[in-house]
Amino acid sequence: MNVATVFVLIVTISLITTLFISEGAVKHIIAQIKEKIDISVYVAPETSNEEMEIIKDRLVEMPEVQAVSIVSKEDALEQFRERHKNDPVLLESLDIVGTNPFYASLNIRANDPEQYAAILEVLNSSSLDDIIYKVDYVEKKTVIEKLSGFITNVNTGGLLMALALGVVAVLVAFNTIRVAIYDASKEISIMRLVGAPNRFIRGPFIVQGMIAGAIAALASFFILLLVSYFLAPKIDAMTNGFNVFSWFKARAFGLFFVQLASGIALGVISSLIAIRKYLTA
Amino acid sequence: MYKPDTVALKNVSFQIGANGNEFVSIVGKSGAGKTTLIRLLLREEEPTSGKIIYGGKNIAEIKNKDLSIFRQKIGCVFQDYRLLPNKTVFENVAYAMEVMGATDYEILRDVPRLLEIVGLEDRAKHFPLGLSGGEKQRTAIARALAVRPEVIIADEPTGNLDPYHTRDIINLLEKIYDLGATVILATHDKAIINSLSRRVITLDNGEIIRDEEKGRFIL
Repeated sequence: MNVATVFVLIVTISLITTLFISEGAVKHIIAQIKEKIDISVYVAPETSNEEMEIIKDRLVEMPEVQAVSIVSKEDALEQFRERHKNDPVLLESLDIVGTNPFYASLNIRANDPEQYAAILEVLNSSSLDDIIYKVDYVEKKTVIEKLSGFITNVNTGGLLMALALGVVAVLVAFNTIRVAIYDASKEISIMRLVGAPNRFIRGPFIVQGMIAGAIAALASFFILLLVSYFLAPKIDAMTNGFNVFSWFKARAFGLFFVQLASGIALGVISSLIAIRKYLTA
Repeated sequence: MYKPDTVALKNVSFQIGANGNEFVSIVGKSGAGKTTLIRLLLREEEPTSGKIIYGGKNIAEIKNKDLSIFRQKIGCVFQDYRLLPNKTVFENVAYAMEVMGATDYEILRDVPRLLEIVGLEDRAKHFPLGLSGGEKQRTAIARALAVRPEVIIADEPTGNLDPYHTRDIINLLEKIYDLGATVILATHDKAIINSLSRRVITLDNGEIIRDEEKGRFIL
């Protein structure tokens, strides 16, 4: 085994680890998107705050519901003024109306966008139906469905890409080890002529594969640790809060173990397969 | 190099060592089939027909996993030496003993003695790259002796050597024969054959044309 072999193993292990990190980042982004999705249930004007609290408590008990927040009529008015603070015409129109035209509402966030339909089913079939004035789910349904589809596609696509890249990386590493063993083919034939049994010949190459894999895993771990430390601020900004260095640190032990195991496995299995050709006939 | 339908050897039939150890030379010009014959004896090739019997067994029937045991009984010396380049002279000789399962004590006891026999005791720590042709070949002979073989097969062992080293190698092979091993020497060196006055099997175009007890090199 030579420096080139170890280098290729480092690249392979780093690539596979980077795929794991990317999955973490994607999950973070998807969670962010999911946070943005919610539906608003507008209640009849005569509904009191206590009644709204009761509705909220009942909603929170549902397993599909992640969070519920109450937006009072006053809060709704304030939010409107804030959103349109640069539009004096609109604000003037509001003053002309005189009264608060907004309805109180409950903002419901589900654990999964696909669960909104189920939540609404429950709301419509319960005694709360009389109090509910309007639900803006119908307007948001298309967006929610499109986002759900997008999330599923990203997950599936990401998994397929990760698998494909992983396979390519492993094949490249295997080929590099095969070339290294080809270099030793003359030595192997001498060993066979001298009467060395196959296990005797195989042994040193397996050990070399293990050592190369272990060194590559160690190097890859420290390289990625350093890279994630220096790139963390940039990635944080791009992904709106995914701190890659913290993510890495939190999983350091597990990641190192996986890298070491896969490095050694790659080195040993590749050596075993590559040397087989020279030990038959 | 050769077409697949080339006939390298045909109707080759002989016995060696039937009545104790022998020193046999196999001679012929280039392409006569000497190396093919050696490769057959070492089970590097298999005959398309016929048998090669060693120790009462047909060597073509030896399973791949048992091939190493068969080869451990035969010492080999080749024209291109075939030493392990990353091992010293000592380690190359010791390797042959390691594959047989010799202990460290046995290796430390026997390898220096073997190096003394071939006159390489001062070169034990050198790598093959730093040795002359004759020294490399003597290392190969020491390695061949390390397994205490019943048979030593030497395929053109002096092909790359000057006359001085050639004589040294042949002397060593005769010494090995005197110690009780059978020596099979493949060569096209006329001077060696004529000086040995031993059994000579002559090959020509893949066939045995002569088999004489005190043979000479005759074209």
